[in-house]
Amino acid sequence: MPHASGGRDRWSEPLTELPGDGAAALCAALDEVLDPELPISVMELGLVYGVAFEHGTARVDLTFTATACPCMDFIKQDVCDRLAQEPWVESVEINEVWDPPWTTARISEAGRRKLKRLGVGV
Amino acid sequence: MTAARGNSRPATGDRSADAPGVPPAPGPLARHILSLADTKRLLGIRYSDWLLGSPSIETGIAASSMAQDEWGHARLLYSMLKRLGFDPVAVEQDRPAERYYSAPALDDPFPDWAAFVAATVVVDGALAVALESFSHGNFALARSRVPKMLAEEEYHRQFGAAWFARLAGAGGEGAAHLEAAARAMLPTTLAWLLPDDPAYEAVVAECDIWEAGRVRARFRERVGAVLAGVGVRLEEISPARAGWDPERRRGPGAPGEEAVERARGDRNRALFVE
Repeated sequence: MPHASGGRDRWSEPLTELPGDGAAALCAALDEVLDPELPISVMELGLVYGVAFEHGTARVDLTFTATACPCMDFIKQDVCDRLAQEPWVESVEINEVWDPPWTTARISEAGRRKLKRLGVGV
Repeated sequence: MTAARGNSRPATGDRSADAPGVPPAPGPLARHILSLADTKRLLGIRYSDWLLGSPSIETGIAASSMAQDEWGHARLLYSMLKRLGFDPVAVEQDRPAERYYSAPALDDPFPDWAAFVAATVVVDGALAVALESFSHGNFALARSRVPKMLAEEEYHRQFGAAWFARLAGAGGEGAAHLEAAARAMLPTTLAWLLPDDPAYEAVVAECDIWEAGRVRARFRERVGAVLAGVGVRLEEISPARAGWDPERRRGPGAPGEEAVERARGDRNRALFVE
């Protein structure tokens, strides 16, 4: 696990059976994956551009805040590991995307509230 | 995702034209991408030379950030080559200096801070215009990836223009050095930006990027007023086309070996993971 980052202790226990809405369950799981530098999730930060679940494969369209983001490998590893811990997920595919470019406008309201409480303005 | 497999990449010891994964004669589009990526890679190295020793800690931090951006952009550009049948890892790590496609203005380290500032306007500006043109073409990877690069480049533009105006406005030796540096970089950079060869024309036709006249106009629009601060009139500068190497899409010479060793990561080769 060369690129695991913090926050894994907050991950929920895996679901015991296949959820009715796989994509929604994946999104919920991704909402537990923290950005390595900001204490909000990759969902709240707006890095996830798409999620799909088909025949046991979880597909995630993922972007990053910067082209030279030093946390890319950490984030990818965390996303893979969080989703792979679900017994109904057989494989995880991450598709790196850059369109549209990420900006702070993609941070969710929940993410903004958390950051504001911590004194981080966006 | 390519998961970290923990397998180190040994030194191949083979950086010849026949090195694995590095086709000896890239096609026009591959040459175009290499020209952009290698220039980004070298510009990042030249910026990184000034992380310490620039006029203030703040400018050192800016240099660090811009160096990081350039390498991030280079990484995305090199990875486009995979679509063209190249091994991007080999392209990044197995080429000798004489197979780099980078702009000649970056062959040697910047001699002083004025040259650094001149490069943020001249070379970084030329790169931004070339990328803008590429993003307006029909190559899908450029259309999807380059806009993010251009968004990050906007900070470089602001930094370069502000420092250029500051040095130019102060006059004296600083302004003289700035003017000299800009004049030294412009002819080769214009030739790099506006290649007068069939390979570039093929990319214009194949990928629907901007033709040379539009590129030059956009470059003038982006940097003309800034350069005028030291009396440089862009329309009076001719591209330096003597010794043009169509294979490498650049003028004669090559980046210094020390810079290329850093670009390839030679000292860390045993530690590479894919």
